[in-house]
Parts: sequence; C-alpha cells; structure tokens
Amino acid sequence: MPDMTLCSIRELLFSISTRRAIALCSGMGAIACLMALSGCRSMAELPTRTIAIQQNWQLQPGATVAGLQVQGGLGDVSIDLAGGKVYAPFAGQVQPGTHECLLFSSPEVPAYLLRFCGLSHLASGSVQQGDAIAWGNTLQVAALRKQPDGQWAMVEPSVNILERSLNP
Amino acid sequence: MKRRSPPKKSSFPYLLAGSSMLMLVGVMVDVRDVLRPAVPPSSLCAEIVQPQSVLPRDKLALLLNVPERDSKDTIRSIISEPYCRLPTIEIRAGVTAEREAYPLAFDPQTWFVVLYEGNEYAGYDFVFNP
Repeated sequence: MPDMTLCSIRELLFSISTRRAIALCSGMGAIACLMALSGCRSMAELPTRTIAIQQNWQLQPGATVAGLQVQGGLGDVSIDLAGGKVYAPFAGQVQPGTHECLLFSSPEVPAYLLRFCGLSHLASGSVQQGDAIAWGNTLQVAALRKQPDGQWAMVEPSVNILERSLNP
Repeated sequence: MKRRSPPKKSSFPYLLAGSSMLMLVGVMVDVRDVLRPAVPPSSLCAEIVQPQSVLPRDKLALLLNVPERDSKDTIRSIISEPYCRLPTIEIRAGVTAEREAYPLAFDPQTWFVVLYEGNEYAGYDFVFNP
C-alpha cells in the first residue's frame, strides 16, 4: 500500500525536528519527499460518499450555530483523542464523507458503517485491520446501521467496536 | 559354443498395467475435485460448519431480494448451512451479531457474508479473496 507508506513518512516528517526532517528528505530523495509532504490523501482519494441518515436531526456535523460549526450531533460519541489516532477496526475501506468526516465500511461486517468526524485524515481507500486512518484531538464517532429503504440509522456503538478503533 | 540367450519377455503388459494405474489415479483425483469445491482455507472463519456448502447463482438471486430487517428464518429457507461462521461481534451496544459465510459456487474466491442480530437479518456483503 504505497499511499499508507507515504502517509507514514509524512507523519514522521511532521513529528520530528526540522533539521532531522531535512536530513531524512535528502536521504529519501527530493521527489519521494515532496510526494510525502504533498499529502497522502491525494494518492488514493475516493469520491465523497453521501449517505442518507434516518434521523433527520437539525444539528448534525457540518451545521452551524451562531456562526460556529457543529462538530458532533445527537448520536455521535465524543472521545478525547488528545492527538492520538483512529485505527481500522477491521479490514475494509475508508471513504471521505460529507463535512470532513470519514466513513469506514468492511465487507466482513455487513450492514454497518462507522462515521469518524473532527479528525485529520491519514488514509483513504482499502485498509487492513489496525491501519491508522485518522488522528486528532476530539473524535466524534457514530455507528450507522443499514435500513431496508437504503437509509442509515444511527445506533449506539458498542464499547468493543470503539476499543477496536482506538487500540489496534 | 555360442549360448543362446533366452527370448526377451515383452514389456508391453507392464506398460499397460502402469499406464492404467496412472489413469485410474488421475480419474480419482478428478472426481475428488468435482465433489469437493475448491474453497481455500481462510482466517476469517472461527468455525467450519459445512465444508461442502456453496451458494449457487439462483439462490444468490433470491437472497438479494430479501430486505434488511427480515427474519433469519427467511434467509435460512433459501440457503441451508453455511460453509463457516465468523467470530461473533458486538457492533451495536448490547446486541451480539452472528456472521456466516458462503463461497459462491461459480466463484469460490468470493464469499457471501450474511450478518444476523438475534432472529433478524441485518444485511450482506461480499468478501473477495478471504
């Protein structure tokens, strides 16, 4: 997965000191370094997936209140990630959703989607279980269950599924 | 005085017997392959239920017409025992999900995975090269 490799290099470059980053870049070669710095998202970016949520609440991620953006609405579990990462709980696919959210799906877990909002994306496309897919300070996560009419209903995610997403 | 060498025995019967044995082995191997579908072992499975189970094309077409939230019995009336069961998981708080897998008869590298919650059919997906 070259996109994930670039993501890892990019993450490393941002995490170390400038002098070390320059030394690492000169060792990698300018082109590889520029590719990593230009961002891994462009390497395998999938189109934004729009889903219809059954609960049509007024305040959802992306809505605004008093000119401020809503990060999470009813149905989202808010977790203090403190700069940590979110990992793929199963082998599956990460796809951009609306309002800077990520949608995770896995053919091993039919009829469910996980929506991660409020984070910086690290991966897009096919991922293996335990791959880092996003990082940030406050995670808004929602579990969505497929309905017969094609809509997705927000349900309460289990502790187990959250743990799988936070501890690879 | 020249000694006459004994007449050489023909090797034809031995060749015939050997090639017949080889043909017999070949036929037996072929029959075994036909009887046992080439389902590769997978780490997805927690328990093999019915090693011969595959999903024919006509049954797949029927399954795709079953809406989510229908009963498990509806699915089971179309397909019998799965090839294997995946580990149970809990996605929705307080609800244990069961997952069963059926390799497609016409493409054993593709598995039809179905998820149940209690007696409710939640949905399906396809796993490629499990």
